[in-house]
Amino acid sequence: MNPEIFTSALLVVPLFSAALIAFTMRRSGTLASGVSVGAATLVLATALHVIFQVDNFEFNARWLLVGPFSLDFGFLVNDLTKLMLLVVSLVGFLVHVFSLGYMKDDPNKARFFAGLSFFMFSMLGLVMASNLVTLFIFWELVGFSSYMLIGFYLEKPSAAAAANKAFIVNRVGDFGLLIGVIMVYWSYGTENLTELQAMVTENPALVTTGIGLLLFCGTVGKSGQVPLHVWLPDAMEGPTPVSALIHAATMVAAGVFLLCRMEFLMTVDALQIIMWVGVVTAVFAGFVAVAQRDIKKILAYSTVSQLGYMVAAFGLGTLASMHSGDHGMGRAMINGGAAAAMFHLTTHAFFKALLFLGSGSIIHACHHEQDIFEMGGLAKKMPITFVTFTLGLLALVGTPFLAGYFSKDAILALAYNHEGGRAVFYLLVLGAFLTTFYMVRLWKIVFLGSPNSEHAKHAHENGLVFTVPLIVLGLLSVIAGYTNLYPHALSPIVEAGHHLASVEGGSTAAMYGTIAWAVGLALAFVIYGAGAKEDSFGKKIGPVFGVLQNKLYFDEVYNFYVAKIQQRFASALHLTEQIFLSGLIIRGMAGVAGLVGIGLKALHVGNLHQYVYWFIGGLALFWVLGGG
Amino acid sequence: MNILHFAIAAPLLFAFFTLWLGRLGRPATQIVSVTGFAIPAILALAAWLTYDPVVAGGYDFVSRHNTGLEAVGITLHLGLNGVALPLFVLAAVVGLAAGLYAAQSKAESLPRYMFCLLIMQGGLMGVFASIDVFFFYLFHELALIPTFVMVGVWGGRDRSYAAMKMTIYLTLGAMLSLAGLITLYVQSGAESFDLIALKEALAAQPLSETISYYAFGLLLFGFGILVSLWPLHTWAPLGYGAAPSSAAMLHAGVLKKFGLYGLIQIAVPLIPGGVGQWENWIIWLALGNIVIVGLVAMAQRDLKQMLGYSSVMHMGYAFLGIAAMSVLGAAGAVIMMVAHGLTVALLFMLATMIHHRTQTFEMDEMGGLAKKAPVLSAFFVCAIMASIGFPGPGLANFWGELTIFLATYELRNWLVFVVVGGVVISAIYGLRAISRIFFGVESEDFQEVQKEHTVKDMTWTERVPALILLVVLFLLGFFPKTITHPINDTLNAEPAYAAEVKASEGEG
Repeated sequence: MNPEIFTSALLVVPLFSAALIAFTMRRSGTLASGVSVGAATLVLATALHVIFQVDNFEFNARWLLVGPFSLDFGFLVNDLTKLMLLVVSLVGFLVHVFSLGYMKDDPNKARFFAGLSFFMFSMLGLVMASNLVTLFIFWELVGFSSYMLIGFYLEKPSAAAAANKAFIVNRVGDFGLLIGVIMVYWSYGTENLTELQAMVTENPALVTTGIGLLLFCGTVGKSGQVPLHVWLPDAMEGPTPVSALIHAATMVAAGVFLLCRMEFLMTVDALQIIMWVGVVTAVFAGFVAVAQRDIKKILAYSTVSQLGYMVAAFGLGTLASMHSGDHGMGRAMINGGAAAAMFHLTTHAFFKALLFLGSGSIIHACHHEQDIFEMGGLAKKMPITFVTFTLGLLALVGTPFLAGYFSKDAILALAYNHEGGRAVFYLLVLGAFLTTFYMVRLWKIVFLGSPNSEHAKHAHENGLVFTVPLIVLGLLSVIAGYTNLYPHALSPIVEAGHHLASVEGGSTAAMYGTIAWAVGLALAFVIYGAGAKEDSFGKKIGPVFGVLQNKLYFDEVYNFYVAKIQQRFASALHLTEQIFLSGLIIRGMAGVAGLVGIGLKALHVGNLHQYVYWFIGGLALFWVLGGG
Repeated sequence: MNILHFAIAAPLLFAFFTLWLGRLGRPATQIVSVTGFAIPAILALAAWLTYDPVVAGGYDFVSRHNTGLEAVGITLHLGLNGVALPLFVLAAVVGLAAGLYAAQSKAESLPRYMFCLLIMQGGLMGVFASIDVFFFYLFHELALIPTFVMVGVWGGRDRSYAAMKMTIYLTLGAMLSLAGLITLYVQSGAESFDLIALKEALAAQPLSETISYYAFGLLLFGFGILVSLWPLHTWAPLGYGAAPSSAAMLHAGVLKKFGLYGLIQIAVPLIPGGVGQWENWIIWLALGNIVIVGLVAMAQRDLKQMLGYSSVMHMGYAFLGIAAMSVLGAAGAVIMMVAHGLTVALLFMLATMIHHRTQTFEMDEMGGLAKKAPVLSAFFVCAIMASIGFPGPGLANFWGELTIFLATYELRNWLVFVVVGGVVISAIYGLRAISRIFFGVESEDFQEVQKEHTVKDMTWTERVPALILLVVLFLLGFFPKTITHPINDTLNAEPAYAAEVKASEGEG
């Protein structure tokens, strides 16, 4: 069979599921959830088939042709696509199953599952797109599903505001991305990724910094890099399974995927900037996470921070391979930067999805309590959640021999060997320390000690639909770092990523990473009491803590701009227009016109019948004169 | 007699049938008038499916009749080329939706209302089917007059002021463009209003620079007023705010496109030098549409005003597409016109449906409507997404915007940064409208209203016209070739646009 049949099925199945639910099952949530989970299962099976049974291929069909501009709808399935397909379909499937339990009693269950199916459709399309315009279209569609699902509890004003914010902030990033896409067309005459790569490989001088950075704007928006990270923590207003799937494991990583997809369009200057944006994001978000008290916000900032690592890895590694001259010629036809970024993306998808689903399990058990200081002592009440969450946490903080250890190690090794000095390396080690610190803080306060609220007292372990996905993801968090366990179809990229850690200086970098881990662990253990009721450490460091708690006032500055500058400017323009254009000029002109002739004056009377008569009369006159 | 004759005559005839049979009661009025809209819709669909001109991009369904004015060079010359075809279909589809929606409305003296609407529809079908410039203009007037009458008689708040202002503006615009057309008639020496004859005459002997400058200027500003080119746009939000919904749908959705269509199909091909002479004017005024009007749209609290301004804003993109003087730009403008026509008609219709439920257009007095009317909110979200050029529901709009952006970059590199910025602006006001109307909690005013009115979700008579518009929009988005193919053929055959293609290919 033609390979494009399977990839088409990957799009059609979830889209059909979403449409079926939207049109026929709005009031039958249980049926809808069945359809959606069925679709996710089918997607997983098809994706596995594509990964293991179908060779890499490209398929294009002409979509439209306007003047000189032609565009295909197409699939590009290569190693990178296959790795993303695995992440999306596997995590997607597990989140679907988890949602069966989590959303069980929600009256709008059908809408939720329709949204999930639609998300799967758009995300899979994004991953497989063969040209930048198609990729952009799906890129926007994942943004739309994210918007709908963040605003799922639409009667909550905070949810509606968060959804708007996510959409608009992403649009700011897409502004750059779209211009980049347009400039790619005029610079290279094609949007097709394969053709672009061939063209650039042949003539590297064609690559410009401007286009690279414009395309990177898309990543800054979607992957929550500073300064457009502000929407991601707010996006936690959505149901927790959505946070796990869209705002931790897959969609937000799409920005990193985008970079890897077009690594060949980057110049040294662009990569320097990309690297620094990633580093700043990683450290900044780590600091902010230390001061948060909402379990999902902590995890959200952790996601931002880890995305920063991926972006930094991309910049560092691509720079390194450019210096060593094997740009695009790495063992997996992908350079070290993309490999390191994708390796971390993969492991992160597993353990961060696990952490979010675990927090969902906790929140569900605690009747939607999200403040960690209102929890405490949950280890005994929810043993499976506790064990799996701990595994995910240990993987995230880079505990030796768990998934995150290997992928973070590769990034640290890259930074250690970076030719621009050690500053980047030390900053990333600092980020690693912060990660351990805020996660252990969370863990100790939530799970140890004794319950701090009625909700926490009555919490108990959830059913199998909750725990089975947790266990599966827990297992993956343990083994996902061992690249030799990956099947052959998936191993090239992750192995290239893993390989980076074994270069010269890799062991030194790993040592620094482990020290940062150990110090973070120890400090957090000493500072925070088991199941603490309040943030005593925060009180001690006072004003600094306040700044962190307020996320360095990014939101305040933006809100000030929107409400006080942008909106006032718009209102002022409106007023000016009212007065100036409609009032003075136009009425003045109308007055003059009124004096000019009787014909126009008749109109001023406002008698519409007269106008009709004028029309008919004029017409008759014309016919008489012209015809004669 | 061919498809086009029936498509134009049917609404006009049924207009009188409606007046006549309207006495028999409401059902009779509804059946007769909706038939009058259904016939052109079916015929337009048939034309779309069977369009197959002898020359690629040329005219099909051609017919010519002497109406007694042959002596002055006027014949009823009808036909569709690749640019006219999509707009002809647009007119038919929007007409059907507007007709269906009007037929179930509670308008006073429904037969007369439907009469006006059907006359308008007949004019619209004629505008895009005319090859003769005189009839092109005449059909436009035929569609315009019922618009004024409908605004003045069935309009909402400020209807007499709105009707007067609309009349002054649009008459002025029509007069200026008429003057431009007559200049062409006189100066070309073709002694004919026939577009094809004019084209041949002007190709053989182009206008002098001075005449081309003034003739194009007249057409640009004449048509420009009709399309609400900044700063001559102020009639639009006011007029649409006051117009009854079906009239607003037909005018904003279709009739307004007359000006752009005139520029693309008549002004630019006949005066190819004119665009170059007026290029900076078009660019800066179009930027006024996009940036200034876009920001003003952001300041609106009234839903219908916001839609009016947003519709004005999008016309700026179309002007830029025309200024680019390339197949890419002009095709982008046509795609945008069609997609925007369907979208804005849908939005005006939905706005009225919202009004029926909240008794207001003030967005601050709504809120939380999604809970009571989930289907309406889904439609509205789709429509807003389409209007802001968001691929998905608005894939067709996206194609229009993308091709225009591409053409804009070729025109002036820096422009694209400003123009794409418009994408962010429209996202802001569009999403704000969604959340103010449908999300969050119900406002106090809305709770008051609900004490007297029970709020229900969309009924099927409301859903059908909305679905028609949305389905066509979806189809155009997913199968853009169905319209880009004929558009492309026609524009490639047009030297004014195609010359640029060759030049740019040469450079690339």
